[in-house]
Amino acid sequence: MGRLRRSRAHHARRDVHRAARTRVRGRDLDQIQMLDLDPKRRAELEAQPLDFEKPGLAQHYCVECAKYYETDAALTSHWRSKVHKRRCKQLKEPAYTIEESERAAGLGRAERRPAVAVAAAPMVVEDAAPVVVA
Amino acid sequence: MRIEKCYFCSTSVYPGHGSAFVRNDAKVFRFCTSKCHKNFKMKRNPRKVRWTKAFRKAAGKEMTIDSTIDFEKRRNIPVRYDRELVQTTLKVMKRVGEIKKRRELAFFKNRMALSRDKHRAHRKKVLEAAKASGVKQLLQPATSPESSKTREKVKISSKARTALVQGEGRSMGMDMD
Repeated sequence: MGRLRRSRAHHARRDVHRAARTRVRGRDLDQIQMLDLDPKRRAELEAQPLDFEKPGLAQHYCVECAKYYETDAALTSHWRSKVHKRRCKQLKEPAYTIEESERAAGLGRAERRPAVAVAAAPMVVEDAAPVVVA
Repeated sequence: MRIEKCYFCSTSVYPGHGSAFVRNDAKVFRFCTSKCHKNFKMKRNPRKVRWTKAFRKAAGKEMTIDSTIDFEKRRNIPVRYDRELVQTTLKVMKRVGEIKKRRELAFFKNRMALSRDKHRAHRKKVLEAAKASGVKQLLQPATSPESSKTREKVKISSKARTALVQGEGRSMGMDMD
């Protein structure tokens, strides 16, 4: 009998447990969707100042995947890749948020206190986010 | 003290229970159990995991639009203690709970009735398909014994050999007869 186990089952995914630690957590989908994809912020992210700590001096950044690349060629080949396309598809539908988890539990948000004070304070970003009906 | 809701499965998290993750933008994610925390770390979407409330609501398995759901709210404005208000609130909570229970039951029954019809239609279709194929087999039984006598030679190209079946050409093992 030969080897019964399938070969090439690992896809070079090394150390999944280390990658799943919360302290190395990258940007979440809701953050990317609500903040990073905004054209102004996107332009900022794509033209970052030289940063010696980041890969490729932070000059080749993919906004959707929140990832730095070493060279321009690496970035463009990443844009053609399945990983990037999958991520773009994920970003098309509204991301899951804390508010949605509360709504699913039947816990709503009370309206803000009627505006008695001076002109309304600038709204927090999460309130401006598109509301998803669960 | 507040009864929080789990980020992943939306159950209540009572004080002293569960765990919380604070993201670097100061958002607090509460988890009822390590199971939910692990699923969060795996970056799963609760809307696509079947055992969560979010899935059940998104898939139309539970009531989403109802006036009885709108009572429970996160209220950040403190209310001055009032004995009468507390009493009426308690009374209302009980009453609303009754109404909600009844409506949920009605919703469930309606959902089950619909799915029952669907199941019935599906079963009927399958049965009819099986019957039709069965009739075909009964109509032409005479040909099969004849064909078994005269065996035809079939050419199989070497490409058709598969590595998935053991002993099909490429295996290193012994050939068994």
